[in-house]
Amino acid sequence: MHGISWQSVDHTLDACIKCNICTTYCPVAAVTDLFPGPKYAGPQAQRFRENGQPISPDHAVDYCSGCRVCNEVCPTGVRIAEMNARARAQIAATEGIPLRNRLLGRNELLGMAGSFAPRLANFGLHNPVSRLLAEKVMGIAREAPLPRWSVDGTFGDWMRSTRRARLKSNKKVVYYHGCATMYYEPFVGQAAVAVLEHNGYEVIVPPQNCCGLPMLSNGEFPAAEAYHRRNTARLSSYARAGIPIVGTSTSCTLTLKEEAPELLDLHDDAVHTLRMGVWDLFEWLQEQHDQGELRTDFRPIELTVPYHAPCQQRAHRVGKPALALLNLIPGIDVRESHAACCGIAGTYGYKTEKYRIAMDVGAELFDFVHAQGPHIAFSACDSETCRWQMEHGTGIPSRHPVEFLAAAYGLYDLERRSLVSPP
Amino acid sequence: MLDLLVIGAGLAGLSAALTAAEAGLNVRVIAKGLGALHWSAGTIDVLGYLPPSDAPAEQPLEQITELGQAHPYALCGAENVRAALAWFQSLIAEEGLSYIAAAGEANAWLPSPAGARRPAYLVPAAQFAGALDRPDPMLIVGLLGMRDFYPALIAENLGKQGVSARAQFISVSEITDRRDANTIHLAQAFEQPHRRRRFAEALARLVRPGERIGLPAILGLDDHAAVLSELQSVAGAPVFEIPTLPPSVPGARLYRALRSRLRRYGVRIEAGMEAINFAADGRLIRWVETETSARPLRHHAAAYLLATGGILGGGFSSDAAGRLWEVVFDLPLSAPPDRNQWFRSEFLDPRGQPIFQAGVEVDSGYRPVDATGQPVYDNLWAAGGLLAHADPLRERSLEGLSIAAGRGAALALTRSAARQPAHT
Repeated sequence: MHGISWQSVDHTLDACIKCNICTTYCPVAAVTDLFPGPKYAGPQAQRFRENGQPISPDHAVDYCSGCRVCNEVCPTGVRIAEMNARARAQIAATEGIPLRNRLLGRNELLGMAGSFAPRLANFGLHNPVSRLLAEKVMGIAREAPLPRWSVDGTFGDWMRSTRRARLKSNKKVVYYHGCATMYYEPFVGQAAVAVLEHNGYEVIVPPQNCCGLPMLSNGEFPAAEAYHRRNTARLSSYARAGIPIVGTSTSCTLTLKEEAPELLDLHDDAVHTLRMGVWDLFEWLQEQHDQGELRTDFRPIELTVPYHAPCQQRAHRVGKPALALLNLIPGIDVRESHAACCGIAGTYGYKTEKYRIAMDVGAELFDFVHAQGPHIAFSACDSETCRWQMEHGTGIPSRHPVEFLAAAYGLYDLERRSLVSPP
Repeated sequence: MLDLLVIGAGLAGLSAALTAAEAGLNVRVIAKGLGALHWSAGTIDVLGYLPPSDAPAEQPLEQITELGQAHPYALCGAENVRAALAWFQSLIAEEGLSYIAAAGEANAWLPSPAGARRPAYLVPAAQFAGALDRPDPMLIVGLLGMRDFYPALIAENLGKQGVSARAQFISVSEITDRRDANTIHLAQAFEQPHRRRRFAEALARLVRPGERIGLPAILGLDDHAAVLSELQSVAGAPVFEIPTLPPSVPGARLYRALRSRLRRYGVRIEAGMEAINFAADGRLIRWVETETSARPLRHHAAAYLLATGGILGGGFSSDAAGRLWEVVFDLPLSAPPDRNQWFRSEFLDPRGQPIFQAGVEVDSGYRPVDATGQPVYDNLWAAGGLLAHADPLRERSLEGLSIAAGRGAALALTRSAARQPAHT
């Protein structure tokens, strides 16, 4: 069985009544028949995978993007996306993992490596020749919206260099930044720290790893397990002490809460403690607001902002707190996207054979953004890869909701993406 | 705080949510997943049969009184059922879905996916030309390469019932290049103008003068009216849809129309939120919790409306020990206490199976009651397939009951909310 557990999934398999609602709402099956739909690749094919059958019956499951819309709409609670993730891991365990997928799974390593010489790394990656080579040799789509390394230092560098200026307080939160904030978008972390400190919280940033999601998506379970065990060792003591762990990358927080423990079948106390201590930042801010403890001294932001709650945020199953909180800002006109998915699904849309699918999936969202008017300055979304995809698909810059909050507190410049000194 | 939390996103829950939203209440709908409507044929069935009799009900609005005083329709009242259906018909028309009732408030009789006779009261305009009492012969056209739609079977069965029908195929490749397409994908393919045109021209070549054309219910999703009208004009014949196996495109259209209506009132439907816990102070529910990726999420509302459906809808669960329970509030159910009494010895017993008539008993204001007839909670209402003393699948009453009781319960709770200000 190559160590792939079917725990938790196998119990839900029998709940499938083959009603096809998952296939009806699957954004991938809607645009390509390379993926026949969640019902077929998931519960139906699963009958041929369990009980010691070593070979997954088909490879179409590789075309599942893992967006989890199927789980969201399933009326009987079948864990379809998890089933598909484990099927991919089973294929990876029997057939090996292509170099490209290994590489895409290691965004922490890539982030770290590029950050030694970010300008060089950006030039090395973002020029037509290397993108062509990457496509031909590796199968990474030439046009795909790969990020750029921060040339102003990492988020860690910023935390260290501003250590003395950071707020000390009895009220503490732990910030889980994730790889994207660390190496590509430190300003998102700066905005989060500014918002948390503005609300009187001291922000602790302990050493932490990649959450392991890119590896889980690419079927590399053993490596993902090593990451999650390390994160558990480093972070669960904070959760045990009652200090909330908040994150701005909604797919990372989902992985720490649910995907890693469930897919990897890790259920010890420390893993559970970490799970219960992790919050998506806006989930936690909403909770503060419900308690009347969120500061609302917002300055007006006169913007129309199309907001897309990404699949991984919706998979938290906590509603859309960013939508509610952005609406507290005077003057802002937040338009809610009802598109299922932007298409990118982490590393899915980077892959040459899936790039077109990802763009076709995202078309509904791109059209929605454009339909909000000719002068849209920014869209908003809680997930970094989705923001990059939205920018790629629309040509309009995208921001994390926390950047808007920080700007409304007068602490952040939305245009330049940097903190401003308080008056 | 919310005025109303509706649990369940089927026709009852959505009708209740809309009614409350129209009255100005702040409403949220939560659901474990999307269901019910996506399995329905898209018709609004009010009453097709009066079990244990096999005789069809021809005048459903009048004959619902024959179901007896315990039936939830008696609770609604015939006039309120009629008013609720008129309300539904008019709002759904505003959302671009036209529903038609047969003349004289009679049931329409339509072909099922197997070519059997199927009663319905409000019929989607696209299914109306399939009425079996019309004299014009039918051409049933299937798509060769599409699963689970068999025109020859339908035509043969209709023929046995005296309806003149013949069968033909058009290749699925006329409308899509997909190797594999389900009904929803096909419906979306019909929204491409050039492919639709090609398909319509193929229809025109097959149809004989005087025939009407029956097609699987895949004629467009969002742009349905345009698809239907173009097929009819190019083929030069009336075109009607025959419902398919799930996913049901007419059901999905209905869900989308109601969802878009609710969005206009600012009502969110939160799918993927399973209610797992609640707390009450005496007879007052304080909150309901839903499952999330970590900690449960708490929903506070002044009023709660349960519309989670019966056994099929997931509102009830059972175990091998013979326990049957309502999954959110563990409300008392009218099921026979002994599991051996759940089923009769004959599978097709005309009296039906007692377990399928079991459900939540409510008072005249749609509040679930205990064995003494007292409301279990003062701020809980219930509607739809979970109500006791109905057998909706056998009566063919599911949609009518859902709309009438959903609206009725929401009106009752709105009146109650107006009498006493929201609890905090």
